[in-house]
This record gives sequence, structure tokens and C-alpha cells, in this order.
Amino acid sequence: MNEFEPQIVAFCCHFCAYAAADLAGSLRLQYPTNLKVIRLPCTGKLDTLHVLKAFEEGADGVMVAG
Amino acid sequence: MGDCHYLEGNVRAERRVEYAKGLLDQIGLGADRLEMHLISSAMGREFAETTVEMTERMKQLGPSPLRRRGNEK
Amino acid sequence: MIVGEQKPLEEIKELVADYERILVLGCGTCVTVCFTGGEKEVGILASSLRMATKIDGQGKVFDEDTVQRQCEWEFLDAVEQEIKEHDLILSTACGIGVQAIVERFPQARVAPAINTTFLGLPEEHGLWTERCAACGECMLHQTAGVCPIARCAKSLMNGPCGGSQDGKCEIDPEVACAWQLIYDRLKAQGRLDQMLEITPARDWSTSRDGGPRRLVRQDLRID
Repeated sequence: MNEFEPQIVAFCCHFCAYAAADLAGSLRLQYPTNLKVIRLPCTGKLDTLHVLKAFEEGADGVMVAG
Repeated sequence: MGDCHYLEGNVRAERRVEYAKGLLDQIGLGADRLEMHLISSAMGREFAETTVEMTERMKQLGPSPLRRRGNEK
Repeated sequence: MIVGEQKPLEEIKELVADYERILVLGCGTCVTVCFTGGEKEVGILASSLRMATKIDGQGKVFDEDTVQRQCEWEFLDAVEQEIKEHDLILSTACGIGVQAIVERFPQARVAPAINTTFLGLPEEHGLWTERCAACGECMLHQTAGVCPIARCAKSLMNGPCGGSQDGKCEIDPEVACAWQLIYDRLKAQGRLDQMLEITPARDWSTSRDGGPRRLVRQDLRID
């Protein structure tokens, strides 16, 4: 169980969290590699179906950031 | 909240996240597996910290019940 | 439009409990525009059910499809093969669509995934309110275009009643008094004299009192 690496899908707003993720990269900050970022034009585009599909495909967690 | 490029996109997203959390509880995955965070474009450090923290929380929750079932087979 | 609301997932899980191959069948008309049973909602429901039943340790199949209108034979005929290949059709259409499936395919087992709630319109995004009771004898010309049958809690023909307070109905402070709306609109249009006309008791035989209704148009019949 200690070896468990959760798969997380992150729906990120192009103007906010996606840019923040970019900045984190520029600052050479480490963040987990098990995070899969999906860029949305706006978190207002977030769709319930996409959240469910992420879980159905095996995500352990879903993050919405914007 | 509301400090959004499209004015209120993240406010609407939050309502949709609440709805999806309700669905996740009904499905049996649990609302805890879905999180919403407000992170502006200047918050690179916070983004990294939030993802590290969320990964920790998901580790505590353990694998998704869908994956656990799949692993047994 | 016909407005509906999805049943709780727990209830739907019971409806599908005895079946293995389930077709979640949506409708592309009224329930699509009220976000209850169109292609998107079929996707969300089928995905939810796949995950919920898998977590419960069941190996069920939930396929998805949506027809343009479940209440017309020709659109149902397009999915005949699919209907026959599944042991349950979980319909997200209104009650008419659900019944149409069994009338067209008598062997099909059908379950409703939604509750058909009323005939109404989207007042705002995410808010639907009732407008028509399908009573069979329209009187909207007498009431400035506001229906007292559907929108007055008592379906009064002559109102308002004593339960009208500050424009709201006594049953719920969120519900507008239909007769206040009628009064306001007649006043704005300068025809308040119409309020003084007494409308006699209604003949309800055109409504549910007359039993199931049917409509025949000889000019449209083929046989």
C-alpha cells in the first residue's frame, strides 16, 4: 500500500492554474508526476461527464483548479 | 473566487463540482476524491504545494474502488 | 416543453438490479433541452451506473444511445436491433417515450430513469416552472396570457383568493400568485374591466375527468 501512487487528473483553467503550473515549472518547483493536467479554456467549461470519465478510466482523484 | 478571466467561470465551476461530488457519493467513489482549488496565474508555488498535498490526501484514501476491483481480477 | 427530473441513482440501481445488458436510451427532444435525458445526460447516467455497479461487484453492461424522439415509431425503429439485444431499456425519456418503446416492441423490458414532472419553460438557466396543465380547453385569451389552471394552486377560474399575499401564493413564498399576474397584466394593458367578468364553473370533461383523451384528424389519416 505504501507504494501506491495515486493517479490524479487536474482540469486547469488556461488563464489561472495552467499558467500557475507553467510558472511552477519555470521556478523549478517539484510537483508530482502522477498529476495529469488537462487544459480548459476556463473552469466554467468543466463538464460533469468529463469528471466521471476520468474516474471511469481509473483516476484516483480529480482536481479542478482555476 | 470570482477573480476570473471570464468573470465568473470559476463560480460556475464550483457549483458543478458540488453537483459532481453528490454524484460521486451516490456512485460510491466518495466526494473526497474531487477537489476544487482557486489558483491564480501568479501562484506557481501554491500550485505545486496544492498538488503535493492532494496527492497525499489521495494516498490516504487509497486506490479508487474501481481500480481495487480491477486489481483483484 | 415536457420537463423531467432524473430519479435518484439509488432508485435506478434497484430498477436495473435484475438485468445484465442494459441500454440507456435518451431522447433528443424535450428532455434534451431541459438537461434531463439527452445524449449528455445518458452519458453521465451510464457512466455513473457502470462505476456504481462495478464497485458493488456486479458485471453489468450499460450501453448508450439517444434517438431524436422516443415518442414516434420511426425514430424507435432506427434502434430496433439495439433494443432487442438488451434485456432492459432504461429510458431517460418522458413517460410517453417509455410507453412508446413497449408499444412498438412488446417483448422489451423498460424502466423509467426520470420522473416526468410538468409542462413548463426554463425561466432562467437551471430553473423550470410549470405553464400548462393540458386541460383541453384553453382560456388564455381571458386571462391576459397567464394560465390560472396550471399556475394557480387552486386552479381558480375567478381569482385571486384570500391566500394571495404581496403577489405570492400562500402555498410557497417562491410561487407567484397567478391571479396577481393576471391582474397586473390586465391593468398594464388597460383592460381591468375584464377582471369583473365572472367565468362560470369549468367543464372538466376535456381534461382528465373525461378519461384518457384521443384526437383524430380525418384529413391526416391514411387508412
